[in-house]
Amino acid sequence: MAQANGEGLTPVQYIQHHLENLHVGDGFWSVNIDTIVFGWLTFGLVMLGAWRMNKSLTAEAPSGIQSFLEVVVEFVDNQVKSIFTGRNALVAPLALTIFMWVFLMNAMDLVPVDLLPWLASLVGINYLKVVPTTDLSTTFALALSVFILIIFYNIKVKGVGGYIKMFLFHPFGKYLIPVNIVMTAIEEVAKPVSLGLRLFGNMFAGELLFMLIALLTAAAYLIPAQIVLGLAWAIFHILVITLQAFIFMLLTVVYLGMASADMDEH
Amino acid sequence: MNPELAVQIYSSTAIAVGIILAAAGLGSALGWGMICSKYIEGIARQPEMRPQLMGQMLFTGGLMEAFPMIVLGMAMWFVFANPFIGAAGG
Repeated sequence: MAQANGEGLTPVQYIQHHLENLHVGDGFWSVNIDTIVFGWLTFGLVMLGAWRMNKSLTAEAPSGIQSFLEVVVEFVDNQVKSIFTGRNALVAPLALTIFMWVFLMNAMDLVPVDLLPWLASLVGINYLKVVPTTDLSTTFALALSVFILIIFYNIKVKGVGGYIKMFLFHPFGKYLIPVNIVMTAIEEVAKPVSLGLRLFGNMFAGELLFMLIALLTAAAYLIPAQIVLGLAWAIFHILVITLQAFIFMLLTVVYLGMASADMDEH
Repeated sequence: MNPELAVQIYSSTAIAVGIILAAAGLGSALGWGMICSKYIEGIARQPEMRPQLMGQMLFTGGLMEAFPMIVLGMAMWFVFANPFIGAAGG
């Protein structure tokens, strides 16, 4: 970075500066501190809200927040009931946690692009990315956790033998076993990869567009355009955030449902 | 590094990114168009199913949007952290 002060930054340098994480270490072993801090902050918020709600649950005259949370819980519960055919106590709370946490992490994108990094630069932190899900590490951590759960439920419901038979004999018969293995393996691996990349791609594109809109203030006559465009994109981004959190949750439930289904004879 | 080589790499990358983004935009627009046209058809057949169909439409739209987003992410990678320049020793 040639100049770190506000003036004298070219647009490319501005964007590249905002796209860099606050990290410790280099290359593969770098740890993105800002991702971890904001991820844990949003998770703490989810846990705090849940704990406070738990203490003050009332059946008569519920408060506003309780009604809102009831709507969310019922919504997730209906999705799980309609998709997940087995009996499992883990799936619905897992789906609710994923939905709330991913939604809150994505919602950090609605904070103005320069606000938190500017506040951090007053304290001496020069690089800050506030949205944890724009970091590939976060989305792939979530996707890999779901993948481990998929394998676990596959083995638990079908047994190790049944799981290996699924690899060997799906989708074609027993004379095409190598083809079966390749195709089933690709299908299994595509699940976490697509989960992680979908969330990352959407959030990264949203963040990039916010930065590009913020760059419009370079010329004074463009400031009204920046306000209008920023407002429009922020409103649309609210839909994208909710939708991506909902899709992540729904696909988790669908994949776990597929993993918990007993194998049927073709 | 040879400046002619750098110019060649950057210009080829720029054209490639343009084609990649055009393809991603085209695929995404066609996909949304098909999904929404089927949604409107479904409403015309059964108007009382409108809320459920809208939920399904948004969900499948988000699923379809996954690959244009991944392609967009890769195009942005070429723009901001060009691996070919890195490999050529720039």
